[in-house]
Amino acid sequence: MGERSAENTVDDAAKGMWIDGARSVSPILIGVAPFGLIFGVTAANSDVPTLAAWASSFIVFAGAAQLSIIEVLGTGGAAIVAIFTAIVINSRHLMYSADMGRYTSGLPMWRKVAMAYLLTDQAYLISTHRFRDPRASASFSSFYFGAALSLWITWQITTTAGFLLGASVPESWSLEFAIPLTFLALLIVAVKDKPGLVAAATGGIVALLAVGLPYHLGLMAGALAGVAAGVASERWTT
Amino acid sequence: MTAWVVIIIVGIATFAMRFVFIALFGKVGIPGWLETSLRYVAPSVLAAIAVPAVLAPGGVVNLWSPLVPAAIIGGLAAWMTKSIGAAILFGMAALWLIQWIG
Repeated sequence: MGERSAENTVDDAAKGMWIDGARSVSPILIGVAPFGLIFGVTAANSDVPTLAAWASSFIVFAGAAQLSIIEVLGTGGAAIVAIFTAIVINSRHLMYSADMGRYTSGLPMWRKVAMAYLLTDQAYLISTHRFRDPRASASFSSFYFGAALSLWITWQITTTAGFLLGASVPESWSLEFAIPLTFLALLIVAVKDKPGLVAAATGGIVALLAVGLPYHLGLMAGALAGVAAGVASERWTT
Repeated sequence: MTAWVVIIIVGIATFAMRFVFIALFGKVGIPGWLETSLRYVAPSVLAAIAVPAVLAPGGVVNLWSPLVPAAIIGGLAAWMTKSIGAAILFGMAALWLIQWIG
């Protein structure tokens, strides 16, 4: 076999991994779609300017952070609190980025940029779960793009559909309650151990006690207190 | 205008956090204290948003609003199914039922 056919085989394998990634992520898309719809519908019904809220789907492209911006700005919170909250929520991407770096050191810069832009909880988890061995990095990047791009397309379509539907939802449906319900569900899934529970309890109680502070500053206080309590709890229990 | 500024700043910061270690790996690793703190970011922030939104809607503590039992039912659904969709479905249905009865 010459060099040429060997290259073709690699290309075919990469194409297969794109499809494999898209196929593996499809059950997750079924869970992402209602979240996208809910984001669109609730954002369209909030006091946040519709075009800006809609554009956050491709400018920020992170559901929980986008929803937190709507929640904070839509209920009279300060811009700085909205920025802080969304950045803190998205800081988990630092962890994913650090782990993904093990697979991506040999890739061209434009691929790294595209990988970073498309990074989500689901794309990270499904891809690194599949590739525990960094030597598989060539297939890793194709598999990742197949999964991550499917998630991106699903998010854009469902949030846009939500915005289009949103205007026709009557106020009496109290649909704004879907936002706290979403955060509650994300919280229940995020608490995995005792220090996590301590962090959540502290964050929730401090934010509730500080609820009278202006501009939702209580949210910042709760978040910082929760992280500190979680780290302290981990130190003491181990 | 405020919303655009917030969204663009958050967008830039989010991309930077997603990109930094993918770009720099091999030269800079993630510091240990940061890694430890990041583990508790999700439970802390999510609770700091969800708890006041349910127990103090509009900034005033009210433990007897229909939101409380509706959130408990939505939370149980999330706990049993690990699904956001189920939490919204059961939580909203409970809220509508309570509002309809009351």
